[in-house]
Amino acid sequence: MEDANNSYDLIIIGGGPAGLSAAIYGGRAKLKTLLINKGTLGGMADTTREIVNYPGTIKVSGPDLMGDFAKHAESFGVEFLKDEVVGTDFAGERKKVTTKKKKEFFAKAVIIAVGNEPRLLDIPGEKELQGSGVAYCATCDAEFFEGEDVVVIGSGDQAIEEGMYIAKFARKVTVIVLHDEGILDCNKVSAEGALRHEKMEFVWNSTIEEVLGEESVEGVKIRNIKTGELTEFPCQGVFFFVGMIPSTQFLKASRLEMDKRGYIPVSEQMETNLEGVYAVGDNRSKYLRQVVTAASDGATAAVAAERYIEEQDSFQLKVLQSEKKVLLLFFDAFNHESLEFSTSLEEVNLELPESYKIVKIDMATKKNLAHKYQIDKVPSVVLLEKGLEIKRLNCCTGKDKLKSQL
Amino acid sequence: MPLQQLNSNTFEEMIYDKGKPCLVIFSRKTCHVCKQVVPLLEELQPKYEGVFGFYYVDIEENAGLFQRFSLKGVPQILYFNEGEFQGKHAGLVDEEKVEEKIAAVQEA
Ligand SMILES: Cc1cc2nc3c(=O)[nH]c(=O)nc-3n(C[C@H](O)[C@H](O)[C@H](O)COP(=O)(O)OP(=O)(O)OC[C@H]3O[C@@H](n4cnc5c(N)ncnc54)[C@H](O)[C@@H]3O)c2cc1C
Repeated sequence: MEDANNSYDLIIIGGGPAGLSAAIYGGRAKLKTLLINKGTLGGMADTTREIVNYPGTIKVSGPDLMGDFAKHAESFGVEFLKDEVVGTDFAGERKKVTTKKKKEFFAKAVIIAVGNEPRLLDIPGEKELQGSGVAYCATCDAEFFEGEDVVVIGSGDQAIEEGMYIAKFARKVTVIVLHDEGILDCNKVSAEGALRHEKMEFVWNSTIEEVLGEESVEGVKIRNIKTGELTEFPCQGVFFFVGMIPSTQFLKASRLEMDKRGYIPVSEQMETNLEGVYAVGDNRSKYLRQVVTAASDGATAAVAAERYIEEQDSFQLKVLQSEKKVLLLFFDAFNHESLEFSTSLEEVNLELPESYKIVKIDMATKKNLAHKYQIDKVPSVVLLEKGLEIKRLNCCTGKDKLKSQL
Repeated sequence: MPLQQLNSNTFEEMIYDKGKPCLVIFSRKTCHVCKQVVPLLEELQPKYEGVFGFYYVDIEENAGLFQRFSLKGVPQILYFNEGEFQGKHAGLVDEEKVEEKIAAVQEA
């Protein structure tokens, strides 16, 4: 049930850099804003030891930068809730969000900023040996492998950078790479560093099929994808960095459009296919997934949401709650006929004993309203009384016939 | 409420001498997964007040304890009853898994 306590202008799902930036803009625009985040604030950026490419901060730790983002949002009056969103209902004008702790919240607009999560390979031994040699976080676990042999799977930025960090502790780090010799998916600087690194070795054209060991990791089974050859490789630790998948599973039932992998396509304003619902940061289809682009997305979406809410509110006030009867006129600035009709309608209105309030809607920019009233051509006129539709006018007539309809 | 911290002396006392059913999370300050799991335990703790113990070991301050269980990585939640090891959870877990395990330990 909706009441004053669970009702907001804007709900942001996810508190990484994208969600926090949206919160800063939303809060500053005086929208009543709630940010729901399941983990630690700062998301993926909070797990990053060092960020050296966020403009204006030459070098900063992820948690420090994200701490500042969060403080900034808080200073503009944003409310924070630590919980996980598990269900949504985006069909109506009031968007509903349900959390794991069985709470419900309502808002006029929702911004989705849930980011990515590490992909699991789902091979035998991976789950069973988690915490007993299988690991996903170098900052957390690297030093438990002091003087031991560690295997890293993957060759993206994360795999190579984390691999080099693990090499500070391990005796040897062996990186398993899908590609031909010398080809790594990561950035050039890291690739050069890793290929030269005396503690790092590479196994090319390969993947792993199984993590071996009873109580703890004793080795991995490596498959060469070119020759099909299988080899057992002894090691005490295995770090998986095999890419990310968007955390958008919980939105499957919402009619929100997603691509095959679960990324949400959006417009330049971060609008999804559902009105009043926006997607920002790593969980949307995009070219560059970084803190700076996440922040930019968040700002754009919050401003777009603010305008959308303002439109909704003003429509509510001017049209749905109007004392006078309303003529809702749909026009298109590029359609001459609809502009002429608009003039005639205004003239006729002045001649009536009791005039109507005319509200003009530009089809090109107010697609949502056109959709709501199922308008497919201009000009179109809907007559409303106290927000309810009384009738539609036949617009293809002269002034007299128009007058007789009113 | 923060979890009660154990060192190697109090660990002996709580786990082996008292022998009450309990869990111990091995954690460290700089690990982001720990930062998600520890609050979850703090929230569950009051529900089990008096029937199931919740403890915390900082592995940087108590490296010996960590090595004794030959753990590789944090966070790890170890479960005990009557001084006997009953199993563990490694990495990110949710409250349902923890509650299931607590129930299993209580029944055993
Ligand atoms: C190892 C590593 C190093 C990196 N280094 C850099 C770097 O140096 N510079 C840089 O610019 N970028 C870097 N990045 C990328 C950067 O971290 C991401 O692009 C950025 O964090 C994306 O922000 P986001 O807000 O979209 O998502 P995220 O940061 O992933 O945040 C999403 C948040 O949503 C929460 N969430 C998920 N599902 C739900 C739900 N159902 N309900 C509630 N909350 C939910 C999550 O817990 C999380 O807090 C790095 C990434 C990694 C993995």
